[in-house]
Amino acid sequence: MTKNKLFLFAVLVIFTSGSVCAAAKKAGPAAVLPGFTAEDMPYDAGEAVLLRWPVNPAAAAGTAYEIYVSSLEAGGWVKVTEFDAAAKTGADIGLPFWAWNGTKDEHAVKVELNNLFGNFPPGAVFTCKAAVLEKGALKAESLPATIAPQGNWFRLDRLNNLIALLGLITVFFWAVSHAKRKGLFIRRIAGLDAIDEAIGRATEMGKPIFYVPGIGSMSSISTIASAFILGEVSKKVAQYDSHIKVPHYDPVVMTVCKEVVKQSYLEAGRPDSYRDDINHFVSADQFSYAASVDGMISREKPAACFYMGHFMAESLLLAEVGATSGAIQIAGTDVEHQLPFFFTACDYTLIGEELYAAGAYLSKEPMLLSALKVQDLGKLVVMVSVFFGMILVSLGAKFGWDGLVRVVMDLFKGY
Amino acid sequence: MKLIKKQIPLAIVFITGVLTLVSYYVPHKMSVNYIETINKWENIVVAFAFLLGLVSLFFSHYNKISRKVDGWGYSIFVFIGFLAMVVPALVSQGKQMTDTGFTALGWSYKFIYTSLSGTMFAVLAFYIVSTAYRSFRIRSLQAFVLFIAAFILILGKVPLGQIIWDWVLGWTGRGVNDVIEWIMQVPAVAGKRGIMIGISIGAIVTSLKIIFGIEKQYMGKD
Repeated sequence: MTKNKLFLFAVLVIFTSGSVCAAAKKAGPAAVLPGFTAEDMPYDAGEAVLLRWPVNPAAAAGTAYEIYVSSLEAGGWVKVTEFDAAAKTGADIGLPFWAWNGTKDEHAVKVELNNLFGNFPPGAVFTCKAAVLEKGALKAESLPATIAPQGNWFRLDRLNNLIALLGLITVFFWAVSHAKRKGLFIRRIAGLDAIDEAIGRATEMGKPIFYVPGIGSMSSISTIASAFILGEVSKKVAQYDSHIKVPHYDPVVMTVCKEVVKQSYLEAGRPDSYRDDINHFVSADQFSYAASVDGMISREKPAACFYMGHFMAESLLLAEVGATSGAIQIAGTDVEHQLPFFFTACDYTLIGEELYAAGAYLSKEPMLLSALKVQDLGKLVVMVSVFFGMILVSLGAKFGWDGLVRVVMDLFKGY
Repeated sequence: MKLIKKQIPLAIVFITGVLTLVSYYVPHKMSVNYIETINKWENIVVAFAFLLGLVSLFFSHYNKISRKVDGWGYSIFVFIGFLAMVVPALVSQGKQMTDTGFTALGWSYKFIYTSLSGTMFAVLAFYIVSTAYRSFRIRSLQAFVLFIAAFILILGKVPLGQIIWDWVLGWTGRGVNDVIEWIMQVPAVAGKRGIMIGISIGAIVTSLKIIFGIEKQYMGKD
């Protein structure tokens, strides 16, 4: 009897342990992905984390990774991305060599948390994990890693930019202080020399001058430069007792230009000639503005038209009407794709940087003129850099010096 | 007076300029918030300034009508156009669409404003033709180069041009599209980049002049 009981017990134990082992084999825990870490993403506002783990060189074909992030202490996983085992290595993170040490031997994934969880409070903790899939089946999983992203105070990746800026500022102050002692030679700019001719022509013909400051806002550098030129042009207009009209697209620009023109008339000793409607608002809509100014040019047949500032499609609409009305036309813009239109329709065109230089050129103030030298020096530095950079990168590519190519490319890249 | 008209504005320009410049190198949330705040302020200032613009517009055209200057009749259309958009906007409470279709504002926007804007933009095509005619009058070496480049581009964009090219220059083994691609990718991009580099350096120097108060013509002279 006892033997029978023992036999039954032994059979039961064998069957039970067998089924338990089978169950354990069926739903057992996946292997652990080694070396998985979660770090704060460097040089950001504290809205991203960086996940890193070593590349597995023995990964079978069809192996993929899945990344999960959770804002909860347990569960709540949100799938971020899925990618092939050969993708997203440390070399793919777009940071320069002085700010990033990632290599092809590790995976590095940047996770933008604000895209997944919206705005979250500072100090919020997130949990991240990675899963390894082989032909769609879970093969391994990392241990969850927690991270509280922090905002950084310096973009180390922009160090090259900062050094270049500091160099430019140093040269700028040197040039400005140098200008106080010595005069500087500035090459002649035909378009600016023609301003006197244009205003003189308008005075002789008794016709108005149109000054169009474009459709840029006051935060646009070209509009600021245009305001400087307007100051010098309106001073000459006041001296010649001619007549200028400045139609505006932007009310803020109009307000600034009113002050500029008023000041110019005052400096020219003709405050009595100043009228408040010299600067007038037309429309804040591009084509309404173009249509209105075109109408004015067609009706009033000005002797001279100036187009200085930021222009888009209306550039040709304005310049062509001005050309057919027989006005002498001087244009200047920093929008490079509008320059061909001005070149073909206007008598003189200032290209980008000449527009910025125009205020200094016309005012002839030594400190402003000296700043033009900084522009020239900047261009020289760029030319030399492009020349040597081209040679070094070509040599690097030819002889397989990847390190040299990366150093040169990183140095001259914007981040 | 000099303090209010010169020194305080220059100090504001300097502080705002330096902070904005520094924010480019500081990724912290505080820096992001600062830029957002400045942008909001700018929008508010622009909104108020728009009222100034409107007053200037009405004042200018009212003067033209009252003084009966040449073309004063056109000025009436400024007021008509203004009313044609503002009255429907008020009636429609700013909505362009309802469940039943266009509101009065939506109708005015689609059938008056958009049509007129489209017409103005379409005029550009005719102006491009007349400008092209003017620029094709070869008066210098540069104009000749421009003409050749433009001619090849025009030729390549029409089937007949491609047939002519293949017939005349097919023996070279190069299609007109190869030449167009080279023109667009090499000389055009090289010229464009040169201009852009000059513009960028000029913009930086102009910004420095304004930030450090060397360029202050925009606020008048002492």
